[in-house]
Amino acid sequence: MSNKRHVASILVLLAVAVVSTALAGDKNAPPTQKIPKGSKVFVAPIEGGYDMYLKDAIAKKKVPVAIVDSRDQADYEITGASESQKASTAKKIILGNWHSREEASITLSNLKTSEVVWAYSVHEEASTHGKRSSAEACAKHLKDAIENQ
Amino acid sequence: MHRQQLLVSPVLTVLVLSLMIFPPTALASNPQANSNQDQTKDDQNKADAGRTASDGHLTEPAPDIKSAPTDEGQLATVNNAKMPSYSKVYVAPIVGGFENYIIAGLRNKKVPLTVVIDRSKADYEISGVSDSEKAGWAKMLFIGSQNSNEQASIKISDLRTGAVIFGYSVHKTNSVRGKQSAGEACAKHIKKIVLD
Repeated sequence: MSNKRHVASILVLLAVAVVSTALAGDKNAPPTQKIPKGSKVFVAPIEGGYDMYLKDAIAKKKVPVAIVDSRDQADYEITGASESQKASTAKKIILGNWHSREEASITLSNLKTSEVVWAYSVHEEASTHGKRSSAEACAKHLKDAIENQ
Repeated sequence: MHRQQLLVSPVLTVLVLSLMIFPPTALASNPQANSNQDQTKDDQNKADAGRTASDGHLTEPAPDIKSAPTDEGQLATVNNAKMPSYSKVYVAPIVGGFENYIIAGLRNKKVPLTVVIDRSKADYEISGVSDSEKAGWAKMLFIGSQNSNEQASIKISDLRTGAVIFGYSVHKTNSVRGKQSAGEACAKHIKKIVLD
């Protein structure tokens, strides 16, 4: 009699376990967004040669990643867009501002899983050092994302 | 008399200049918005008329599109559609690289979605258009603003069924952060249809 009860309880537990795992399988799991230090990163060409500024900024800000020239060798890829607008005559005369307007947005994606693991956008209305400033802002935040995870 | 003429001429010049610069956009945007609203009402009436037959029963299913104006844009959800959290979303390339701003906005606004770069791995797709208008000399002179005008429109489609489940358009006059603001506005409204 007691054996039958044991068997019944085990069967119920098994059924519950099966149902719960099936339900868990339906729900999407949050992605693992850790970027290991020393990861190989490929910077894809960005309009206006912004990728070069980004590479320099990554080196200058000592971001703990290794930049590679080939996409095949990389674990991660940085893609993005940037826009730069020189100060117009009106801006110089009316607002007395010589600095350019910089806008950029970059995404870091895992090439193995195809997931975007990090993204950042920057807007500087009067950038003192032009593209360099915005690229360094991107690099600084990438460094924070890697170190504070 | 001569003094009056002297006063009138600068005032007229300013009026003509301001009419040349501001009203075309201001007048063009408001009637368009009003006409859009009227059109939406007409569409709703037509849909209601189509749905009810002479005996009052429903004859054909009409699309249940809910439209709601927000603070800076227009939002539309179809059949109160919701996206499961951490669904895989592919953001299609948009002119000017606006897709990057949307992805950054999704991250900044902590939207629980997984963005993928491979369309074949995605459940949903975000596509759209965007336009940016830089501040001209007149705007700087008369308003003293160097902020740009941004507008964008996005839609989310279910890649399995092909149905468009969400649409949103944003228009920002004097956008302090340019495309970044527009991208974050899109992300903020996408978050509303994602289930926690």
